[in-house]
Amino acid sequence: MSVNPVLEAAGSAPQVLPARRPFRFREWLEREGVFSWLMLTPPLLFLLLFLGYPFCYGVYLSFVRRPVAQPATFVGLNNFVQLYNDPIFWQAVWNTFRFTAAATILKLGGGLAMALVMHQNFRLKGATRAVLLLPFIVPTVLSTVAWQWILDPGMGLFNRGLMYFGLMQQGPSWLGNPTLAMVSVILVNTWRGLPFFGITILAGLQTIPGELMESATIDGAGTWGRFRHVTLPLLTPVIFIVTVFSIIFTFFDFQLVYVLTGGGPANATHLMATYAYVISVTTGQLGLGSAAALAMVPVLGVVLMLMSSYVRRD
Amino acid sequence: MARNDRADGSASRRDFLKLGAVGAVGASVGAGWRPRRAEAKPEKITFIRESSYVKEFDEHFKNVLIPRYKQETGINLVYEIVAAGGSAVPRNISIVESKAPVDAGWLQQEWLFREGLLDVSDIAEEVGKQQGGWYPEIKALSMWEGKWKSVPFGNIGQCMVYRKDWFDQVGATTFPDTWEEFYEVGVKLKKAGHPYGMSMGHGYADNNSWLLPLLWGFGAQVVAKDGKTITLDSNETAKAVDYVRKLYKDACLDDCVGWLDPHNNKAFLTSQISATNNAMSIMISAKRDLPEMGKVTDHALNPKGPKGRFHSLVAVTHGIFAHTPDPAATKHFLKWLMDPKQVAAWYRSAQMYHAPFLHAYDKDEEWNKEPRFKPYLKVLETGKLVSWPAPADRKAGEVVNKWVVIDMFAKACTGASTKQVIADAVTGLKQIYG
Amino acid sequence: MVGQLTWARRLLGLWLPLAALFVFALFPFAWMAATSLKANAELYDPKSNPLWIQHPSLVHYIGLIRESNFLVWIGNTMLVALVATLISLLFGVMLAYPLARMRFPASGLLALSVGVAYLVPQTLLFVPMADLINRMRLGDSLSAVMLTYPTLLVPFSAWLLIGYFKTVPKELEEAALIDGASRWRAMTRVILPLCTPGFLSAGIFAFTLSQNEFLYALLFLNTSSIRTVPVGVTGELIRGDAFYWGQLMAAAFLGSLPVVLIYSFFVKYYVAGLTAGSVKG
Repeated sequence: MSVNPVLEAAGSAPQVLPARRPFRFREWLEREGVFSWLMLTPPLLFLLLFLGYPFCYGVYLSFVRRPVAQPATFVGLNNFVQLYNDPIFWQAVWNTFRFTAAATILKLGGGLAMALVMHQNFRLKGATRAVLLLPFIVPTVLSTVAWQWILDPGMGLFNRGLMYFGLMQQGPSWLGNPTLAMVSVILVNTWRGLPFFGITILAGLQTIPGELMESATIDGAGTWGRFRHVTLPLLTPVIFIVTVFSIIFTFFDFQLVYVLTGGGPANATHLMATYAYVISVTTGQLGLGSAAALAMVPVLGVVLMLMSSYVRRD
Repeated sequence: MARNDRADGSASRRDFLKLGAVGAVGASVGAGWRPRRAEAKPEKITFIRESSYVKEFDEHFKNVLIPRYKQETGINLVYEIVAAGGSAVPRNISIVESKAPVDAGWLQQEWLFREGLLDVSDIAEEVGKQQGGWYPEIKALSMWEGKWKSVPFGNIGQCMVYRKDWFDQVGATTFPDTWEEFYEVGVKLKKAGHPYGMSMGHGYADNNSWLLPLLWGFGAQVVAKDGKTITLDSNETAKAVDYVRKLYKDACLDDCVGWLDPHNNKAFLTSQISATNNAMSIMISAKRDLPEMGKVTDHALNPKGPKGRFHSLVAVTHGIFAHTPDPAATKHFLKWLMDPKQVAAWYRSAQMYHAPFLHAYDKDEEWNKEPRFKPYLKVLETGKLVSWPAPADRKAGEVVNKWVVIDMFAKACTGASTKQVIADAVTGLKQIYG
Repeated sequence: MVGQLTWARRLLGLWLPLAALFVFALFPFAWMAATSLKANAELYDPKSNPLWIQHPSLVHYIGLIRESNFLVWIGNTMLVALVATLISLLFGVMLAYPLARMRFPASGLLALSVGVAYLVPQTLLFVPMADLINRMRLGDSLSAVMLTYPTLLVPFSAWLLIGYFKTVPKELEEAALIDGASRWRAMTRVILPLCTPGFLSAGIFAFTLSQNEFLYALLFLNTSSIRTVPVGVTGELIRGDAFYWGQLMAAAFLGSLPVVLIYSFFVKYYVAGLTAGSVKG
């Protein structure tokens, strides 16, 4: 966009404007509301088409009985009632909460620690950053398949290690024992997601201006004091966003559990996402499956309310 | 690389302006609304299948059948392969729902979308007549309301795979004939450090293939023949559950309660287990990669219970999607495929991994090449669909896919009481059958 | 004595934690690398050491490259990830900038809607999405995934960028406007460059997610030559109940290499952008 020299020379005197069309247009563009909406329109249109339409269709599906290849019949809230009475559904809900809470806490703590460690200066910092991201980079399907073998009771790395160091005669059954299966799933999710937390928080750390840290030191703050009063408050927005999105992402996690355990043993690791998928895809009840998937949303709506209060707070 | 050149061309330009983005979307949408012309003869027919364990089977189709069909009819066959272990079903559902341009394929779980399949009675009847007749049990799957909705192909047989050397060591020179004997030998083997590995997790085949025959062998059934009455809650079921619990505790590897289909292969090939229930894949892998182990691996039929010996069928059938643009051409393809000139060689390319449902192949030479595969042929005699004795409808499919019966056994093994697990299973069944 | 203190500090504060991080993040890769270099006989041998190779062999790598379309899949994956990332970043900025820095009617409501967009699970969308894609005749083409992946990425990119945009003080923008710059110029010349770390973070996330995605790729990429790595590898290296473990691990390894290289390249710019940012800030 070229800059009008007259306008430039006029400086900040917007009231002195000749009534010529190009001027008015540009001025109109500069209005906060207009500029904002022009910027917003293309992405919004895209999302409306590719996300909005399927979403509305999905919502519609959750209120009908719709077996594959058969027409739909309206059933109101019947699908949700059916889920309410389904013990496996409630097990999946409980599993999802446990899984998400545990994994998120571990990833946040680990990621924060990782960011703080990486924030220091050392050689090969760049290469280290890239390499530590590997768990996050490798396609989930492939790394999860590898973990199947790592958790193998006889041949797997874990149990071989335990037996080698004499800690156990025979390693535990990581994917057979219901409790350990949940532990395994949490572990693999943490392993995969921790680097992302680390790198994002690190980015936040590195946007903190050096002067602030210096002035805090001059004011007598020690390492912990600096962390609490300078670093943490400035990091909070980034941590908040990353955590919220990780919660959402983990809550909806499907691929990892599906490949590692299929939701077993005996539904011990079934998540809402895997159960909704199993309903749609293996029973062909698209209505019920959509209802199960939709049921995840209100829970996260609470999280969303937190998010929006943060945005409006500004 | 991409099919749709127009959209791809505009999308790969790095210089991404706002207008470019909108334009790309607009172009795609615009391209989409062009109506598809009805062709006199299709250029191609797309055939979808799950990737075969025996690679040569897929290769045979690609290298022999595709060129032959092109030569005979001028039509290109497109062979789409989907990953094994659950990818085919969402793909098939999506194909039926969105009327995607796929014409025919291996219908896994056809009970889910029979309404979306073409009537292929003429093909199936003729193929049956021509090649010795069909094994009766498969008709319960392929036929619906008097019409054939799919053409059966073969059974991926599941029976006992075991280490003959270890069984000999504990004195079991022939494979145990009854479930009780199976238990006793298992106890000895576990003590010797070679437990059984019987899958009980959320897989598709290796769990059903022994748990259902066991249930049936004890005289229990899930749902009655009428397809409505739930008959699971019975003394026979309780006996079966108690048996599995003691088998697990005293004869099996702890891990197997969570095993999906590939786990038992892995465990067997890494010498962790002495027996499991599986298709031919373990022996084929062993013969190829671990010849020493291959020599001491053998197959046997499922043990029998008080009420008989049963096996569970993993049926492979082919069908045509109703939305295929040229039904006549696609039917011609399927008929051609099942003609002895094509299908016999195709069966053999997989070493009869898919035991043919046609009696004409019972005496086929291929069965003699590896005598240890013969049990898979015998499986056809006592093989039942997973829904047996109820009809193979959506509800029966749901029971299998939600692992209602499998979980009943698995939970018993991890500590729940027999009464509780049966009650939970019945609750699950009531949800499905109403 | 001061020197001793800092050495111990560095050991505890840097080297030990770093080593722990390395082990935690990378031990599965050590295993994957070792496995991919073992021929099947050694792979299945219960007595073999999981992390050590007795008879290294490239048989799986050769098999992978020769007998499957692996290299094509990598090319497709990179292309799709790149395009989807660019679209997401672009749309992300276009959404985030007004929402973060401007006040205008309905901005709150819009921010909410964008958030809602993220709360939609794939398992809810995949059937209608397949229908939409087939209606647009985009089935079995890379365009299908290039257009559907941003639906998973744009909301997050937008929210992440909002966070970063907010950290830049309003005074900078106002100063630019007073100096006579247009909003566009203020945005592109002043504010956006300061948020480069944010772009890189959002970009890393978007790129990773794109090359990782499985469900839409499974539904929309059907021919072998069109597929991305996750679908191609699982489709052709997992046959029946047999996993071709050696080749799978080789694929996992080779599949991550180009991405690691790209990331290490960007990390250089990451650092440069950061130091520039902190000097200005």
